[in-house]
Formats: sequence, C-alpha cells, structure tokens
Amino acid sequence: MSTLLPAGFAALTPFTDCWAISGSIARAARRGDAHPTDRAAFFAAAAPLLDAALTHLDTCPINALSPADQRLMDMMLTLAHVSLTEEILGDQEPAHYRQRRAMHITRTPAGA
Amino acid sequence: MSDDSLAWLGTDPIPAAPYHDPLWFGLEREAVFRRSWLQIGHVCELPDSGSFIRREIEVLDASLLIVRGRDGEIRAFHNVCTHRGTQLVAEESGKRSNFSCPYHRWSFGTDGALLAAPDFDRFFVDKADCALPRVALDICGGLIFVHLGTPEKSLRDDLGPYATMLDGFPAAQATTFSEYVYDIDANWKLTYDNFQENYHLRFIHPRSGAPAVGEDNPFGYPAKMGFHGPHRTQTIWTNPDPAPKPVQAQSFGRAARFAMADGTAGLHSRDYLALFPNFFILGSPAQPFSHTVWPIDAHRSRGVIRLYWKGEDDCASRRYAREYAMASARDIHAEDRDVIEAGQRGLNSGALKHIHFQAQEALCRHLFNIVYERVSAYRAELAAITPPALALAEAQA
Repeated sequence: MSTLLPAGFAALTPFTDCWAISGSIARAARRGDAHPTDRAAFFAAAAPLLDAALTHLDTCPINALSPADQRLMDMMLTLAHVSLTEEILGDQEPAHYRQRRAMHITRTPAGA
Repeated sequence: MSDDSLAWLGTDPIPAAPYHDPLWFGLEREAVFRRSWLQIGHVCELPDSGSFIRREIEVLDASLLIVRGRDGEIRAFHNVCTHRGTQLVAEESGKRSNFSCPYHRWSFGTDGALLAAPDFDRFFVDKADCALPRVALDICGGLIFVHLGTPEKSLRDDLGPYATMLDGFPAAQATTFSEYVYDIDANWKLTYDNFQENYHLRFIHPRSGAPAVGEDNPFGYPAKMGFHGPHRTQTIWTNPDPAPKPVQAQSFGRAARFAMADGTAGLHSRDYLALFPNFFILGSPAQPFSHTVWPIDAHRSRGVIRLYWKGEDDCASRRYAREYAMASARDIHAEDRDVIEAGQRGLNSGALKHIHFQAQEALCRHLFNIVYERVSAYRAELAAITPPALALAEAQA
C-alpha cells in the first residue's frame, strides 16, 4: 500500500480506488454518482493537500509521471470536480446533478 | 449605462411568435444564417497540411469540410462529391493528403480540385469543372468563420472595431481547448438571450454566479454595453469583495498566474463579445470561453462551449487549473438549461403574444431587432418577386 502514492500523501491511500480516475468525463461522472458521505470524506482528506500535491507533481515532467504520481494527479483532477459540490453547491447538488448530465464533455487537454 | 442611452433600441414589447413559430424559423434560416459569418472552429484544429475538420451546419442542411492545404491556406468546402453528391468524409477530424469518395472513388486534393476519377474519359465534363464547391471562409482572432451565402463584407469589415478586440482575446493565441456540448429543447434566440443578461444570476446561479453580483449591484448590471452593426459587447461587473472558497481561490489563482505568464491576460478580462448571429466569447484569463448556439429547428438548439488554452499541459498545476476552470464553467452553464427549456414550453403554448425586455436586457432586444430587420428585408425580397420570375423559379425547382 505504501507505493500507491508518493511519500507525504499516505492520508489519501484509502481513497485511491474510488477517486484516482482517468479522464475528465469519468471524473465528472464520479462526482455525481458518489454517495454524499464518500464524496465529503474525499474532499475533507484531499483539499488540504491540493497545494502540496501540485507542488510535488510540478517537479516531474507531466508526461512521465510515475504510477504513484499519476495516481495522485488523477485524484487532484477529481478533486477539481468534487470541490465544486462541496465548496460551492452544498445542498443544491441533488438538483444540479441532473442538470449537469446534459453537458457532455467532448474534449479536454487532460483527456476527455 | 443609462436607460436613455439605450432608447434607440426601443422599449416596446417584443412579439413572442419568432421564439416558437416554425414559419418564422424557416425565414431566419435564409435571412440570418445563410447571410451571416458563422463561427465554426479554431485554427489550432488544423495544425498541419492535410488537417481537416467536418462541421455539420444543421440549420442550413450543410456538411462542411474545412482543410488546411499544402500551401498552408485553410479552405472550406461543401462535404459533397461533385459526381453524385455523396458526402465525402464521415470522420469528425483527421489528416489526409486527399479525399476519396466512398461511392465511386472520385478523389480530391486538399485545395478541393478533382485529382482523379475512375474511367473519367467517358464523362461529359472537364475535371476543372468538378472541384469541390467552395464556401467563403475567413479568420479573426484565431477563430474560423464561414459564410454559406455571398458575403457583402469581409469578416473584419463586418466586425469593425470588434475584430481588433477579438485579436486581443485569449482565444487568439490558443493552441488547444476544452469543450462541452449540450442539446436543449429551446429556440436558439431564447437560449442565446439567457447569456446576454445578468438579471437571472441571483436566482439561477445564487452560489456559482455570486462573483458577478453584490450589495452594490444586486442584479449584476453590466459595467458597460456597446453595439456595432449587428454585434454587441458587454463588460461584466465583478464583485470587489467576492470571498472565494479555499479550493476555488487556489484553482483560479493558478489559472490567473498561468494566463499572466502566457501573455493571455489582456485588456479584455471582463469583456465579452456577442457576434451576430449565434456566437459569444469571453476574454476572462482564467475561463476564456466561447459559446456557439446552433439552431436545429424552431424549438431545438445545440450549445458548443469551448475554453481556449495556450500551450499544452506542461506541468501538473496547469493541467489541474484547466480541469477546474472547465468543471466550474460547466456547472454554471448546466444551471441555465432547465430554466430556458421551461421558458420555451411556456412560449410554445401560444399563451403569450408578447414578451418584455427591461433595460439590462438591451442586448437581447438588440438581437431581436437585428433578426427582425433581416427577416423583414428578406420577406420584402420574396414579395418583390414578380409572377414571371416566380414562374421561372418554380420551373427551375
């Protein structure tokens, strides 16, 4: 388990299975499909580590990340979506979820 | 901007029928969409000789093939083989040295010329007369526009001072983009109008749209409006004390720093342009997006939203900032869709003969006025067709 994520980010290890997600479409979908309790727990664990994670990842070439670093990158990218529910929408999320599903992501630099 | 300075736009109620009547929509197809420059892509989609994109212009039943030729020039053609009309290209994009028709293998160069056709000697036409039908294309600020009629003005002449503004928007330097697309059961003008006023922000976007309203400006009145010909502009008022959330502040802070470093944080960070008939673009450095509302029929439209970026993702922070910017913009746009559809259902009922625009909805009124002028002029053209000419047209049909 210790190699799942780079040193310093062990607190996120329990979240790797659900939240280290490849592709913007899948990341956006997980935000909406997740149980609110799980989503809130991921946000509580990951948000305080965002700056440290990006500082660490910025030291590596983006196209040559180790598997552990790529996992951390994917978790931070999922956090980008999840934070909008947790920080901005709050109790508006259930209604918003249905509205969001009509907005189909077709292309992103990070891979749709 | 005072209400008096907008008096030239008029204050009367607006007839509701143009927002749901199929007959009116049929007139708009020819009067507006066949006679305007239409934004359909970006030069970054065509990086190399032979790069192509296919674009469907449903409102005009047209499929277009946009190609960068061997000489570097970008051209637009109808995606139609000149033999018997078969559509040449099915892929949305790609790169080819020539385009071969799947039916009888007529092949065309990247400049549209017919290169070869099997057993061509037994046809009764010259190859030179079989080039792909050309469509007028022009570029401004990195954005590709086409005109499916006969342009009265070049794109830059049509845009006037807004051409120079467009050159200063982040999209002018873009090399890649994020995109999301939505279908909506609503007329294109009703959909477009939603994004031309801030009156709805506090009701539809009470949280996501909070930075554009505040105690001093509870309805988010724009700081400035402007008009040129059929086009218009607006400068968004920004709350000076927005109180961003922690992740939000970190995310947009990174995006803004990259925009500064890239030189894409120009003078137009709060400006948007609404280019007639169906295109918006916002100059925000953190969320530099464009939005095209494509009509499908009188009651259905499709929105294509792009966030334009300069340079590939060269580090984790840049990749993250772009993901957040897209997700955040998508959230706001998602909030609009339901209420626009509710408006369309109300209009479809025919219960209203008129709708009402207030001062902040001046851009909506301007769009309606221009559409009305264009449709009226087109109707006058049709009415002026004399019986002999009409008979000739029917004979040719």
